[in-house]
Amino acid sequence: MRQRLIQWVGIAWTLAYAALVVWLYAAAPQSIAEVKTQASVAAGTYEVDRARFDAGRDLFLREQYAAARGEWGRADPARRDARTQFYVAYAFYREGWGRVYNDDALFRQGLEAVNLALNLSSDAPLTVEDPELKMHTAAELKAELEQGLEHTAGDLNPLKVFRERK
Amino acid sequence: MSRQTNRALLRHVLLPTVFLTVALLGGVRVAADTRALLFVPPPLVTLILAAMLLVLFARGGALRVGSWLSADNGTAENVSHALTLGALFFASAQAFNSVLPDAGLPRLVLASFFLWTLWQNQFSAFDARRLLRSLAALFGTAFVVKHLLLASLTDPAGGWLRRLTAAALEGVALTGPAYAASTGYVSFFALALYVSGLALTPAAPPAPAADGSVSPGQLAPAPAAPQELAEPSEVETRARLDDGARKKTFRE
Repeated sequence: MRQRLIQWVGIAWTLAYAALVVWLYAAAPQSIAEVKTQASVAAGTYEVDRARFDAGRDLFLREQYAAARGEWGRADPARRDARTQFYVAYAFYREGWGRVYNDDALFRQGLEAVNLALNLSSDAPLTVEDPELKMHTAAELKAELEQGLEHTAGDLNPLKVFRERK
Repeated sequence: MSRQTNRALLRHVLLPTVFLTVALLGGVRVAADTRALLFVPPPLVTLILAAMLLVLFARGGALRVGSWLSADNGTAENVSHALTLGALFFASAQAFNSVLPDAGLPRLVLASFFLWTLWQNQFSAFDARRLLRSLAALFGTAFVVKHLLLASLTDPAGGWLRRLTAAALEGVALTGPAYAASTGYVSFFALALYVSGLALTPAAPPAPAADGSVSPGQLAPAPAAPQELAEPSEVETRARLDDGARKKTFRE
C-alpha cells in the first residue's frame, strides 16, 4: 500500500516539477523578482501596484512623461494591465506631439502600447474616465497616433500650428 | 523507515527530482553585462547526443529498460519509471547543453567530438564502468574548455592568453555571448548533480518476490556476462551449499 502511495506521489510530484521547468523556459524570467511576477500572473493573482501607478499619474500631469512611464513600468512589470498600458501610450502621445511635427519614434512606441492595451481588453472596449485626459478610449488614442504617423499633403498646411494637443 | 520504502522513494521521487533539477539548471546562463537570467532550451544536437547516450546506457548494462518498463510492473510503477527515464533523457540533453559552447568554432569542434565518441562507442565492446569513465572525461574536458578557457577569452580584462589567441586565430569566431562567472558555478553544480543522479540510478528496479517483498536492487553497473546478471535464487543458493557440504564430506 505504501509502495503504491509513493508511486502516485512520485508521479504527481514529477509532473508538477516538470511543468514548472517547462514554464520557466517558456516564460524566461530575467531575475528572481520577475519569476515572482510571472508566477503571480500564471496563478491569476497579479495586481498593479496602485501607489506606483498614482505616482506615475502625478508625474504625467506634471509633464514628466519619461519618469511617469518608468513608474508605470514598475507598477505593471508584466505589462498585463490594460489601463496602465493606455496611460503609457498616452504619455508617448503627449511627449511625441508637436505643433509643427510629431516625433515618429515616440508615436510608434505609443502605438505599440495602445495595441497592447487593446489586446489586453479584448472582452470590452477600454474606456478610462479621467477628467485630465481628452481622449478616454483606447480606440480614439490609437486613431490619433496612427494619424500622427501618416505623412500627407495636409502636413504642409500652415494652419496646422493652431491644432490642439489632446 | 524500511529499506524497501527508501528504495521506492529513491526511484519514484528522488531520481526524477535530481534529473529535473539538472534539466532546469543545465540551460541557465547569467548575462555578463546585465546579470539577467537566460534560459537556453536544449538545441537539437544535445537531444541527439542524449538519445545516443541513453542507447549506450542500455547497451552497457547501466540501464535495463526492459526491467524499468515491464508488463510485470504495475501501471503506476511503469508510469513513474517512464517519467524518471524521460527526466534522465532531458537531464542528459541539458548536461550536454551546459558544457557545449553556445556559438563559434569551439561549439562545432566539441559537438563533433561528442558525436564521434558516442557514435564509436555504439559499435565497440565496453562495460558500464568504462562508459561512465569515458563520459566523465568528456564532460570534464568540455567544462574546462567552455567555462575556463573560452570564458577567459571573453573576459575584457584578459591577459596574454587572450591577446595571443586573438592574434593567432584572427577572423575565427571563437566565442559566443559573454556570461558571468556564476554561469560556470551553476554548470558545475548541474554536472555534479547529474553524475550523482547517474550513480544513484539502479540498472534495474528491484523485482518483487512471490511474497510481495522486494529483493535488493542492483545499484552498481551490471557486469557483462549474462549468466552473472541474475542473482541466484534462495533455492539455488541452498542447493549449492548442500552440494559443497556433500563434496566436503566425501573428501573427508
